[in-house]
Amino acid sequence: MTTAAKRRRVVVVLLVLLAAGAGLAGRGSEADTDTDTDRVSGPKHFDGRFVFARIRYADGYAGGGFAYRQDLPWAHDYPRAERNLMRILESITFVDPYLGEDGGTILKLDNPDLFRYPFAYMSEPGYWNLSEAEAAGLRSYLLKGGFLIFDDFHSDIHWYNLETQMRRVLPELRWLELEASHPVYHSFFDIDSLDYQEAYPGYTPMFFGLFEENDPDGRLLAVANHNNDIGEYWEYSMTGWLPIDLSNEAFKLGVNYIMYALTH
Amino acid sequence: MFEFFFKYRPILFEEGVFAFRPTVATYVATILVLVAGVITFRTYQLVRANSRPVDRAVLTGIRFLVLALLVFCLFRPVLVVSRVMPQQNFLGVLIDDTRSMQIADRDGETRAAFVTRQFGGANSQILESLADRFAVRLFSFSSDTNRIESVDTLTYDGTQTHLGQALTRAHEELAGVPLSGLVVVSDGADNADGLPPDSLMPLQAAGVPVFTVGLGREAYTRDIQLTRVDTPRSVLRGAALVVDVIVAQTGYEGQRVSLQVEDEGRIVADEPLILPEDGEPTTVRVRFSATDAGPRLFSFRISPQPGEMVTQNNVRNALIVVEDTREKVLYFEGEPRWEVKFLRRAIDEDDNLELAVLQRTAENKFMRMGVEDAEDLAGGFPRTREELFKYRALILGGIEANHFTPDQLRMISDFVSERGGGLLMLGSRRSFAEGGYAGTPVADVLPVMLDEVTADGEAAFFIETDVRPTRPGASHPATQIAENEEASVTRWPELPPITLVNEIRDVKPGATTLLTSGDQSLVVLAFQRYGAGKALAFPVQDTWMWQMHADIDVEDQTHETLWRRLLRWMVDGVPDQVVVATPQDRVELDESFELTAEVDDANYEEINTSQVSAWITDPDDQLLEIPMDWTADRDGEYSARFTPRKGGLYEVRVEASNDGELLGSDTTYLRVAPSESEFYDSTRRTPLLERVAEETGGRFYTADTVDSLADDIQTVGGGVTVVEELDLWDLPGLLVLFVLLVLGEWGYRRVRGLA
Repeated sequence: MTTAAKRRRVVVVLLVLLAAGAGLAGRGSEADTDTDTDRVSGPKHFDGRFVFARIRYADGYAGGGFAYRQDLPWAHDYPRAERNLMRILESITFVDPYLGEDGGTILKLDNPDLFRYPFAYMSEPGYWNLSEAEAAGLRSYLLKGGFLIFDDFHSDIHWYNLETQMRRVLPELRWLELEASHPVYHSFFDIDSLDYQEAYPGYTPMFFGLFEENDPDGRLLAVANHNNDIGEYWEYSMTGWLPIDLSNEAFKLGVNYIMYALTH
Repeated sequence: MFEFFFKYRPILFEEGVFAFRPTVATYVATILVLVAGVITFRTYQLVRANSRPVDRAVLTGIRFLVLALLVFCLFRPVLVVSRVMPQQNFLGVLIDDTRSMQIADRDGETRAAFVTRQFGGANSQILESLADRFAVRLFSFSSDTNRIESVDTLTYDGTQTHLGQALTRAHEELAGVPLSGLVVVSDGADNADGLPPDSLMPLQAAGVPVFTVGLGREAYTRDIQLTRVDTPRSVLRGAALVVDVIVAQTGYEGQRVSLQVEDEGRIVADEPLILPEDGEPTTVRVRFSATDAGPRLFSFRISPQPGEMVTQNNVRNALIVVEDTREKVLYFEGEPRWEVKFLRRAIDEDDNLELAVLQRTAENKFMRMGVEDAEDLAGGFPRTREELFKYRALILGGIEANHFTPDQLRMISDFVSERGGGLLMLGSRRSFAEGGYAGTPVADVLPVMLDEVTADGEAAFFIETDVRPTRPGASHPATQIAENEEASVTRWPELPPITLVNEIRDVKPGATTLLTSGDQSLVVLAFQRYGAGKALAFPVQDTWMWQMHADIDVEDQTHETLWRRLLRWMVDGVPDQVVVATPQDRVELDESFELTAEVDDANYEEINTSQVSAWITDPDDQLLEIPMDWTADRDGEYSARFTPRKGGLYEVRVEASNDGELLGSDTTYLRVAPSESEFYDSTRRTPLLERVAEETGGRFYTADTVDSLADDIQTVGGGVTVVEELDLWDLPGLLVLFVLLVLGEWGYRRVRGLA
């Protein structure tokens, strides 16, 4: 088999897997039908513990992807991703997280309760469309000390959408590519390389950060796992459908992000 | 008036001894008088006319009194007094040469002007009358006592009144001559040595009376005085200072004025106040920040008011050394949680606080932030005193007691009690009683009672509450979260609620609660002094809410302000291994003072064998080394004496080393400048001056009664004396009495129709 043939075959296999994964992801999201209400989830009342906050947003069209279906991009991998991550976090660190079946809470960016949870996660920011109130809420959240992970998105179009939306939030900040030497990758586990296997075939995973005052030595406000989907690995870590090493690496990233957010 | 009737001044009657000096003729005359008396009596018995018995009794009585008066005079009554021989004795006159003598409180005349007028020269009435009788020797006194030829040489710029020392010096100087007494002319203000109890004993033993002439008013009619200002000797740069100023006044009750604070001439605070009742001191609390590093002269002043008699006492100066150091604080957090992030951010821009964070992330796994080098805290929480004691404050987050060894728990206790550091415990399910601290040495240090934990799991204590300052918390520097006390008190309850998982309701005796829950049932912040240091309980698990909460504006600085002020207060006054001290921040030129230093090793145990030197830089940048010796009175205390010969600012740096290894150093500053204290409480100290006179057998005078001074000294004074007998039979008063009696008899007769 020629090299070109090999490459085609790999692409085909990946596409099949991707399709299957996408279907599974769609079926697996327990939040699929919750389209109209500001979902109530997470702990009954705030008790000071660490809570994983998933950002819910009204999606917009960013070209391709899942938007044509009855699918909620913000809910991808919910709740198993956060539930698994919180269990991992609780078992290997001294963090005392909320461990409910829903894995965390779901909040819109203009919900005042979001400020009780300085660590937040957003899935599929390629479909993200901000209202003015949400832009103001997120700006305040990040400047006061919040930390946001953008995950599960790929392609230049999705990146363009993320940049566009974030420019409305923090127009003064620019995304800077993160290196493996950055403290965020050593806050708990030492992650020495960011050369991850492609989560989206044909797209090389890259990591970007928004820094306070655009200072690469300053505080990280947000991280974008571009061309990556570590939430997917968290979600399927217990199914055996994905390689353990990849799930491990995804968990390492997740734990490190949380530990960094808690201390920086 | 007294002298008109009794011929002599009262002092002669007080000092003299009454006696009769009869002669033979006295007895003959007396017999004749008695005969006359008998005749009188018989005559009134026989001649009845139309008189009643009572008339006869009255008239007989008056006649007998007249005869008795006659007999009294015939017996030649005398006053035996001991009088100083004119020009045979010396008299020391001590004139106050201090600044308070410049105060013009006697009809616009200064106290000094009175001295010049009465003791100034040939035409001075008092000095002249004294010089007629005594060999007068003049002395000036302030902090020193000197012989002077004339009061014209007085400058009235002395800054301290050493009255006891002055009396001793003058007495010693006149020891070999017959001394009639000493005269002290003074207002008695700011008697720096407080008149030592034994300073009058030599005078009493030698029989030298002291005559005190008190100048000035006993009370001003219109005056404002800053009685006292308490400031720390050193603070951290940027520190928010809360200083109490005691203000007293007379004549301006109810008037609105403002108390200004100047930092080297720049106004840093302006506190309005309404002046209190006359003579009732009031405390004014004034807040300001020390923003510029180095030795800074802060002035506290109230502008002179119209008609004020003394304006120099409207200002107080204080030298505050504003340290530009980075004070090391260790925060040990046992549980990854948001407090670490937000506390780090809160003090990130405070250049004078250096926060090292030891974050336990997992079992035996620690994250270190803000450490000095790769080795610092690499093994976790310090295991040696030396390692821990390099910090000035320690914050214990959610870390359970059994994480520590018994030695480490003892070390934490010693960190407060012996090293003098500040300890703060944060709220968590791993701290306080919930963290198993009850019964440990750390529990002894904490200001709160650790009750037994009765519930856990779902039933564990949890409350979300807002916070209120207590009365001490309203004004405490650690809890000032706004620009002034009023704004701070208002701001606290407005802050978003926080959560508590430690049910702490009681503080220990002697502890102070600064913050409580909204219903005031739970302790939110309390502190106590423990040994050399202080310990705080802050059982809140999420102060970060005061930064992150939706109700908090992005630009709000409350959380930052709180933590900076709290930590600055914790590290304030925490000693180094070497601590230098001077008795005060100002000394007089040529005034010797004692410099002391306390020296500890790295474990903060006193060392008596170290080599200690003081490096003194004078105002002209001349450097002088003075060795300091162990005092032998206290472990680790060294001292040396120094006498400044130039006015201005001195830097005193003390270095201590042991076996060639530098233990540490400390620097302080000292002003060499004249004191303003002569203008404070500068009214006449009559009780003091009266006591000196009374205890030595002298007399006390004021400017209005001083005319009799020379005569009195002649009567009361010691030295070469002669006994004199002063006739009393010719007292005008006796003649007046005689005439009155005779007229009385005549008048009685007229009234009764017996004439």
